[in-house]
Amino acid sequence: MISCKNVATLLMSDQLQAQSRWKRLEVRIHLAMCKFCSRLARQIEQLRSGARRMSDAEEADSSFEDRLIRRLSGQ
Amino acid sequence: MGFAEPEAEDMVQDVFRTFLERLDSFEGRSQLRTWLFGILHRKGLERRRASVLDERVDPIDEVFESRFDTKGNWTRPPDDLERLMLSKEIGELIRGCMDGLPVNQREAFVLREVEDLETNEICKILAVSVTNFGVLIYRARARLRECLETKGLRKHEVEPRSKP
Repeated sequence: MISCKNVATLLMSDQLQAQSRWKRLEVRIHLAMCKFCSRLARQIEQLRSGARRMSDAEEADSSFEDRLIRRLSGQ
Repeated sequence: MGFAEPEAEDMVQDVFRTFLERLDSFEGRSQLRTWLFGILHRKGLERRRASVLDERVDPIDEVFESRFDTKGNWTRPPDDLERLMLSKEIGELIRGCMDGLPVNQREAFVLREVEDLETNEICKILAVSVTNFGVLIYRARARLRECLETKGLRKHEVEPRSKP
């Protein structure tokens, strides 16, 4: 049986796709049964979506680009 | 890639200068995006010569390990961060936590999660092996998670008192 620590490490290090089909299935089954590992998996997703939203919000604030353009054009 | 803004502006200018100087040597062997990120990464390295070396040992590894017993079962499971993650200020909180990441971990995290690049492309940009990238992203996520957990705790401490 795969341990919580194994599952957590695979999820955190993005190594799941590199595993055999059997191992991936084992992880999926574990996640379906384990509240804490599935919580961790959800948090990894939420970190991703949170970071993207943050980056979108920062890009929408165009002041950085404006300044950059001004500097590149030597004004 | 996670530098403070004034420094980031300088670096972007630097990258474009290098880009123009070396345009001749760009032969389309790699995607333009990979090439530009690669230049940016190397500019970053130049700016932090002292920390170029990859930390073999990172204290965050032990923090994460300490959450499991010897059989690999959770002894200190992840806190429930659902409310925090759905809160309006989560973007800000993540930004604050990202500022605390070592630069190479921040780069790995941003290129994967924000820029959505493939592992192979990220490895080329950062000039690391796939295994090494795995370690970087693992440490980045572990740090961010621990950081949010701390912030979540603090929030719970403050909230009841701020209520009338």
